[in-house]
Amino acid sequence: MRADLLTRAWLTLLGLSLGSALLTLVPLRPALLGAGILLLALIKARVILARYLDLSGSPAWLRGFTMVLSGFTVLIFGLYLI
Amino acid sequence: MSDTSLIDELPGELLMWVLIISELLVFGAGLVAFMGVRLTDPAGFAEAQSHLHRTGAALNTAILVTSGYLAAQALHWRRAARRFAARLALLAAAALGVVFLIIKGAEYADKSAQGINFETHPFFMFYYLLTGFHAAHVLAGVGILLLVTWRDEPRNIEAGAQFWHMVDLVWIMLFPVIYLLG
Repeated sequence: MRADLLTRAWLTLLGLSLGSALLTLVPLRPALLGAGILLLALIKARVILARYLDLSGSPAWLRGFTMVLSGFTVLIFGLYLI
Repeated sequence: MSDTSLIDELPGELLMWVLIISELLVFGAGLVAFMGVRLTDPAGFAEAQSHLHRTGAALNTAILVTSGYLAAQALHWRRAARRFAARLALLAAAALGVVFLIIKGAEYADKSAQGINFETHPFFMFYYLLTGFHAAHVLAGVGILLLVTWRDEPRNIEAGAQFWHMVDLVWIMLFPVIYLLG
């Protein structure tokens, strides 16, 4: 993994984390807030898988992990909405 | 493409990936159970969650992703034969892990001072189980990072960093569910 890609991933993760924190301060409908928070978490997880864990060089595995994590996120969101 | 070549595509040791997937499944099941039990008392869960210190937990997210960055950089530097820089990065990553644990400890102490424990509400049972189990992994990860700082062959650093990224990944999924989804 190239150093500049790692640095970009780190800055992206910090930015997304800040985004999650700011999202909780905005008066949003609970469903919208929940969707936003979980979507940001999913994107962060994908960045960690792709860049920190270096799955960007193994697209099939990255796709598989992303699909499973997306399913998990949808399940959590569904339980949140009930 | 054969199964063997697909497995060979995974970076690092196969056993580390078995561990990563196992841990993700365990924590994932815990979070699904948490959300399932929440259905029995959403108002009580929201009230219990309001006692958590979101700022400290958000700070811990920044600390862990920064620590993960340093661990990933350490591997990059070690492969580039920058051994001293790699060791410094690993030590800094471990130090940030300790900072994470200190903030977590302060959070637990605050709950204790409020008289909150495992039995206060089902929310707190899950809170202590999931965050406590994660904190145990952080503690183990700090030890592993220090170990690979000492035994700094690239494959050792790669395995140690992978464990650390798994700890990071679990927190990224745990934090929004426990702390933010009220």
